[in-house]
Amino acid sequence: MWSFDMDLMGLALPLAYAVVLATSLYTFSTVYRKRKAARAANLAPWFPTHLQRNVYLSLLHLEPQEKQPKVPNSVLRAALLRRAVEDIHRIIKIRTAKQACSTLLQRGSVGDDLWQRFQRAEKDMEEELRDVVMEANALGSNWGQIIFQSAHEIASNTTLRQRLEEIQAQTDAEKAWWEGQRAAIEKELLAGSDNDNTVSKGKSPAPKSATSDEEAVLVEAISTSTPAVSIPAIPATPAGLKKKKGKK
Amino acid sequence: MSEQDTFTQLPLQMDPQTKAISSIGPSSRALTAELEALNNMHRSLLTLDTPFGFPPPPVPVHPKRSAMVTKFRDSGNDHFKKGKFPDAIKHYTLGLQAALSRPLWEPGQLCREEVTGLYSNRAQAHMGLRNWPQGAVDAEASVEAKKMGNAKAWWRRGKCLIEMGRLEEAKVWVKRGLEIESGEKDLMELMREIERRAGRAE
Repeated sequence: MWSFDMDLMGLALPLAYAVVLATSLYTFSTVYRKRKAARAANLAPWFPTHLQRNVYLSLLHLEPQEKQPKVPNSVLRAALLRRAVEDIHRIIKIRTAKQACSTLLQRGSVGDDLWQRFQRAEKDMEEELRDVVMEANALGSNWGQIIFQSAHEIASNTTLRQRLEEIQAQTDAEKAWWEGQRAAIEKELLAGSDNDNTVSKGKSPAPKSATSDEEAVLVEAISTSTPAVSIPAIPATPAGLKKKKGKK
Repeated sequence: MSEQDTFTQLPLQMDPQTKAISSIGPSSRALTAELEALNNMHRSLLTLDTPFGFPPPPVPVHPKRSAMVTKFRDSGNDHFKKGKFPDAIKHYTLGLQAALSRPLWEPGQLCREEVTGLYSNRAQAHMGLRNWPQGAVDAEASVEAKKMGNAKAWWRRGKCLIEMGRLEEAKVWVKRGLEIESGEKDLMELMREIERRAGRAE
């Protein structure tokens, strides 16, 4: 009997120790997890706000008011297609970033935060795609199967057209620059005898003309204001001569 | 919880007649641009003659526009062969307009193929008229549409740049071309010409 009491008293201390340890571990883990979750939720999203998605959902929830009829399905389809196009851009961005991101993470070059943000973006993207397919099926029978094909073509066509427009927009500046050049060359040919002077002058700004179109315009402005300086006078002279012959 | 469950309600309104969407009150530039794109998209969707009201799958393509583009290209080529460069340019330009106004959901690859040939041919016609700047720009556009297997366009811009006396630019351009079209005879010849001229200039 005495010995049993002794045992109870002796056990109390280790038991209390175990209880304290367990509770402290539990509190630590819950608090830590909660903080981590809160931090993950507060991380900046990978992508900026999805404007197209907001437009689509706003239109979907637009209440029919006085003399404001319900938004027709054709408008909703257009808005959904715009949303799908933006999704295509985002998918491409995620796919290209994934490889780089995981490599950087393995090397420890980027923090865990970035990887978490990335994974969340990936998960959101999947949900977004599922959502768009569902909406598409609601707006047209089996549209969900092809909406992303169409969106992909729209995305690639749009970028191609933008690039081509940018390139074609240079035409006027290039033409103006070339007119200036030609005038300068003709003047130089008329001057004729003091050719040596112009050659030595022409050398210094020559590399300038060969950098970019904006600078080309700039150079043109210089060459018109100071007609003696003809920029790529040296190589252009034979071409200019030939051209004149060709015209006559 | 996540962003997927919420959205921002934007202050939008619709014109009852035209069905054009606009925003109420002041709006950001991005929103204005987006709404304009949306209205354009809506208009092009309305021109569809499919029964469902959404764009058909990219393939098969409606053959009418392709035929039109081919026709313009062929007539442009005919004029070019006869040496009527301005007429050739006109026809190529019409072909380009037809190719570039193709609905956006039709295959981008097809549009690229058509556009690259037309730009390249128009560059050639411009070169026939000694319009070097236009030729250079068109050849660059052609290369933008199709980089691989487009040695002619690479060569044409290089040539135009040389003719305009922009040797440094031409050198960079032809070098880039040779990286993609390595071993192309004409391009290598052009490179030698650039070096020869550069040597003479010094």
